Amino acid sequence: MKKRWVSALLVFSMSIALVAGCAGNADKKDSAGGTKTEGDKITFMVPDWGVPTDEQLASFTEETGIEVEIAEVGWDDIREKLATAASAGKCAADVVEVDWSWVGEFYAADWLEPLEVSDEDKADMPTIETFTIDDKVLAMPYANDYRLAYYNTEQFAKAGITKEPQTWDDVLEACRALKSTGTVDHPFAIALNAEEKTSTCLMWLAYTMNGVVWNEDGRFNKESVLEALKYMETLINEELVAPEDKTSSGMDAYMRICGGTASFLTGPTSFVSRSQNEELCSVVGQIQPILVPGKEGKAAQTMPLPEAIGVNKLSENKEAAKKFVEWYTSADMQKQLNKTNSAIPTRNSVLEELINDGTIQNSGAMLEQAKIVSSPFPNGVPSYYAQMSSAMYNAINKMALGELNAEQAYDEMASALEELINE
Amino acid sequence: MKKKILPYLLLTPMILIMGVLVFYPIIATFSYSLKKWKLTAPGDIRFIGIKNYQDILQSDSFWYSMQNTIFILLFVVVFTTIVGCLVAAFLKIDVKWSGLLLALAILPWALPPFVNGILWKFVFFSGYGFLNKLLLGIGFISQPIEFLGGRWSLLLVISIVVVWRSVPFMALVCLAGRQSIPGELYEAAKIDGGSGWKIFRHITLPLMLPFVGVGLTSTSVTAINVFDEVVALSGYSDLGKNILMESYLTTFTFLDFGKGSAMTYIVMLFALILGIFYLRSLNKEVEY
Repeated sequence: MKKRWVSALLVFSMSIALVAGCAGNADKKDSAGGTKTEGDKITFMVPDWGVPTDEQLASFTEETGIEVEIAEVGWDDIREKLATAASAGKCAADVVEVDWSWVGEFYAADWLEPLEVSDEDKADMPTIETFTIDDKVLAMPYANDYRLAYYNTEQFAKAGITKEPQTWDDVLEACRALKSTGTVDHPFAIALNAEEKTSTCLMWLAYTMNGVVWNEDGRFNKESVLEALKYMETLINEELVAPEDKTSSGMDAYMRICGGTASFLTGPTSFVSRSQNEELCSVVGQIQPILVPGKEGKAAQTMPLPEAIGVNKLSENKEAAKKFVEWYTSADMQKQLNKTNSAIPTRNSVLEELINDGTIQNSGAMLEQAKIVSSPFPNGVPSYYAQMSSAMYNAINKMALGELNAEQAYDEMASALEELINE
Repeated sequence: MKKKILPYLLLTPMILIMGVLVFYPIIATFSYSLKKWKLTAPGDIRFIGIKNYQDILQSDSFWYSMQNTIFILLFVVVFTTIVGCLVAAFLKIDVKWSGLLLALAILPWALPPFVNGILWKFVFFSGYGFLNKLLLGIGFISQPIEFLGGRWSLLLVISIVVVWRSVPFMALVCLAGRQSIPGELYEAAKIDGGSGWKIFRHITLPLMLPFVGVGLTSTSVTAINVFDEVVALSGYSDLGKNILMESYLTTFTFLDFGKGSAMTYIVMLFALILGIFYLRSLNKEVEY
């Protein structure tokens, strides 16, 4: 009898635990499955580098009465979490990180609430163009990144080159001289591994060379892209890039300039500070940020790769979320985020102020370059970006590993894009 | 009446747990696999029957991934079994440091797969990897070898890494199997004039087969489902992708939940067929 009671009790408690487990957080869900924000409480899903400090959040709460709960998630996982939640009609967070490369698919999937942005703000933030599709601003950029060129002045001088490279041909000749004089074995740092950075390398190379990557119909501009691919092929064949760049991460390839094993890089704006950090750079004081080269002279435009935040369409508290986005991307917060999170401002006015007051040092052509950023996507980032990028970086990687030549690599990525467009 | 209800009542929690966490997802995934369901096209979700399966089976990318999967599977199963059995044989020898050796042998199994991949990337890295440094140092090569730069060499490296992680489990299972064979059987066999090979063939091998079967099943599932090591060694490159990565990319990178679910089903069926094959072949009545 006693045994039966114990068994029954165990069964009962397990069933209760199970039901309780399944019903966890049920009080926070509304009938539509969205996260119900009690009063003015919102959630903000962001990678570690975008997390505001407690003091900053407290001042926002004091100012607006809106409480913010931070969901710190790895950058890679944010898109996955959003997708999984959205597939079930759930709201992963009220305010979410939006990388420039995600915006096309987020728009197609209808996950973002359009934002109202003044013309003044639009003019101050050129990278906002990347997050604008069909005249709708889908997210506000908070961390700036665009392609800027860097070269090691001492290594160039050692190889007998005294002038800063103006064109891509100048860069090629300089790299040949650096190699032939034994100054640096593999002077050009570029991502060639099968990863996103490799696709963007081809994009900015074609864009800065010819001002076009895609035609209006979304297909590659063959002349421009093929020319960029052939340039990369030359770098590979003449061993001006390091063999390990073909299989190591793009960031490792970029970092070679800080290690002194590369003399030229077109890379993220973060290298302005990296190149001055003695913990990260062994050639501090030798690296100069310059305008990205072009075909006839300096490039007329460069590619932006910013990060933004947007309001989830499934949010129950859209107004509060919009207020937060406005506050987070305000000029004052951009200054604060530069100080606390080392974020490069997306507002040119703030960037200029920080450069002028010496907060950002050794900026070189950073500000000048920021003023000529422009998106290479004529109709906005497409919804099939991830698949297109995958086809691009795999084809480039195969070319780097000697499996394809430039024409074959182009054909492979062009046919993959054709399929995606037809789909 | 009470006696009839009680067993069902006792089973209820487990049925609920299995139902919610195992059977429901399996059924739901199957229903997704029959739909055109791409998250970037929310207005175009519809039933399309087996079209996702047809598309997958006609895709070159899928068969490329399948070839990679089969390569990894064969290499891992063969070498894990051989090395695992050898390690078990060594661990069976009773020495002073048996406990410590056993703990050391288990270590690779305890490592998270991604960490395992990162560790081995340091060994096989093209530029400054340990192996290249070693080979260059002893003058065996004059240029670093790009171990991760070719399809087959990359697959070989991935397979070696998975073998390294799988051997401890196989060794433990084999050791358990070997220790469960009563010593009397060997004594009887010796009295009957059995030689070393005959004893192994007629006693050790048949009695250990069910244990090896368990090890093989687990190893095969590990080899089919290898993911972290591939990402750590070669990222999301086409070069070394297997069917699990193809499924992951389709579902979470390209946001095609319909096709991704179909691919998941194909991976599951592949593992299921192997599991059934092992169980039927190795779990037979033993005569000795």
